[in-house]
Amino acid sequence: MKQFSATILLTFRELWAMRITQGIFVVTTIAWLLLTFALNLDVIEGSIAALRIFGFEATPTEAIRDAVTGEPLRDAETGNVLREALSLDQFVLGMNQMVFGASYLFGTLLGLFATMPLVNGFVEQGRIDLMLSKPVSRAKLLTGHIAGVWAIVAMLVTYLVVAIWLVISFKTRLWLPHYLRSIAIIVIMFGVMYSIVLAIGVWMRSTGLGLVTAYGCIFFSGILAAKDQIVPQLTDFTAAIFVGLYHIVPNYIEVISIVAQLGSNESVNSWYPLVSSVVFGATVYGISYVIFLRKDY
Amino acid sequence: MVSPGSETKIDSSLAIATDALCKVYSGPFGRRKVTALNGLSIQVQQGEIYGLLGPNGAGKTTLLKLLLGIVSPTSGSASLFGKSVSLASARWGVGFLPENHRFPPFLTAMQTLVVYGRLAGLEKMTIHEKAPSLLDQVGLRQWSDARLKEFSKGMMQRLGIAQALMNNPALLFLDEPTDGVDPIGRRQIRDLLVSLKDTGMTIFLNSHLLSEVELVCTRVGILHRGKLVKTGSVDDLTRASGRYQIQIAENQKSELTELFPDLHFANRSDETWIQFEAADASELNLQIDRLRNSGIQILSIVPQVQTLESRFMEIIGDIDDSPGGIPRFEKRTEDVESTDKHSGS
Repeated sequence: MKQFSATILLTFRELWAMRITQGIFVVTTIAWLLLTFALNLDVIEGSIAALRIFGFEATPTEAIRDAVTGEPLRDAETGNVLREALSLDQFVLGMNQMVFGASYLFGTLLGLFATMPLVNGFVEQGRIDLMLSKPVSRAKLLTGHIAGVWAIVAMLVTYLVVAIWLVISFKTRLWLPHYLRSIAIIVIMFGVMYSIVLAIGVWMRSTGLGLVTAYGCIFFSGILAAKDQIVPQLTDFTAAIFVGLYHIVPNYIEVISIVAQLGSNESVNSWYPLVSSVVFGATVYGISYVIFLRKDY
Repeated sequence: MVSPGSETKIDSSLAIATDALCKVYSGPFGRRKVTALNGLSIQVQQGEIYGLLGPNGAGKTTLLKLLLGIVSPTSGSASLFGKSVSLASARWGVGFLPENHRFPPFLTAMQTLVVYGRLAGLEKMTIHEKAPSLLDQVGLRQWSDARLKEFSKGMMQRLGIAQALMNNPALLFLDEPTDGVDPIGRRQIRDLLVSLKDTGMTIFLNSHLLSEVELVCTRVGILHRGKLVKTGSVDDLTRASGRYQIQIAENQKSELTELFPDLHFANRSDETWIQFEAADASELNLQIDRLRNSGIQILSIVPQVQTLESRFMEIIGDIDDSPGGIPRFEKRTEDVESTDKHSGS
């Protein structure tokens, strides 16, 4: 346990010493401070009467139109266009979907970018040999490294999501804790994508290539997400390959819809994109362990 | 006794034992094979300071990495205190200073000792008790809270030694410990090693500095192309191999040249020394009698002792110049990928 905690401690210290991690904390703090001071809501009887962003009046809803002419109706006294009141629930759900969808992308992509140098440091000549010379198994060393990376990314993501959730909840006085479930999804998907960086890192000591591959998979998952539209256009053979890849490659883009559905407290249509991504991640972590246990450093 | 090549069977009472250890590095798809160690058998007794010598690419660092489980053998076996090196538990009570080590630059000297002490399985309290005295011992006490990015190469090396000593090891592996250290620091490290030897610690030292090995080690092995070509005590290796120098009186130089044209003057400035070889004591006495009977006055007789460096050069040179040997500075055909890349030695 002492050795395991030492590996986690080293990973923590390294990540904290890297300016990029501190940068993510600063950017996250700026994001929720902006949200705190820039967003003003006037809530009357469960509806939003006025919405101001940076002091500018926003017009959140559609104008009420004359059923016959289709012209917007105006207030007889002020002459302003009459608008339908925006339900607070509707606003919060929309807001959450947008903000937490962005958090998913921000959390996973920046998490990958921030933690990439860690693998480099971990397998660096002169450092890995010193660690391997200690009376600790390779499996424990790698597990400690992974646990450290996951833990710090979980902290970053929790800070980001909880802070934004608190700001929105305070502003709207509507507390929807189910949204916090997205933290787990973000951390899991980070873990899945990090498995690629790790495997290539321990195998080839090239985390740059690992990061490019992980980002490539994300890009490719966007194409694979359009499976229903693309497959009918393909021949049987290429369609089989395409579908095969759809089931193998992590479904990063499709998981965004799971985050959005969780945020709006809807039941999730399909957990398959998440499940298949987790299976992919587990397999790649397994490969990383096999490589790390056997490799000469 | 100086004995060539292999030593035999593994014994649990030995600090280090290897048996027919082989390591072959393979390139991509199994092509381009480089033999770093070739059937190496070596034994190091507890309490010895064993120096491993060899030219670049001889396999020194590979051997060290094999003994520490950093690389795995292609065939053969190795053990530390009777435990197979494939077990993590074999490394309990082992300290290691790698060549070109890279400690995380964001740590302070004290944090480094804490992290690596924890990895060595030490309790926090033990680390905090031991670290200050170790930093003191290596002359880094006043730098304990400084970040490593501010450290010079020599300071890093001294910190590396402190780190290797954190768990009070029974066996210490040092790969080029004085690399980058100034002469004063080198002397301090040497003194430290000698004082550690007095504690009964076994030390395995890889070094290019033959004078350093000569001063510190009790036994030396010479590794060449993955094979142990010579092993023995420093005294054994540097003992006179039948060469003697005899000093005669200054005024008898010309007389000697006339009487004994077969004798050679030694390469010394005063030209009163002659040099010759004698296989044993009786042959030596015969030579002396020859000179004495001719009226040559002998002022002194000095057996010639080689330095470790000259002996090392001789051994390596003999092998490379022997039939089938490889002239130095030429690459072996199988060395498409340099052994240095893998072994760093």
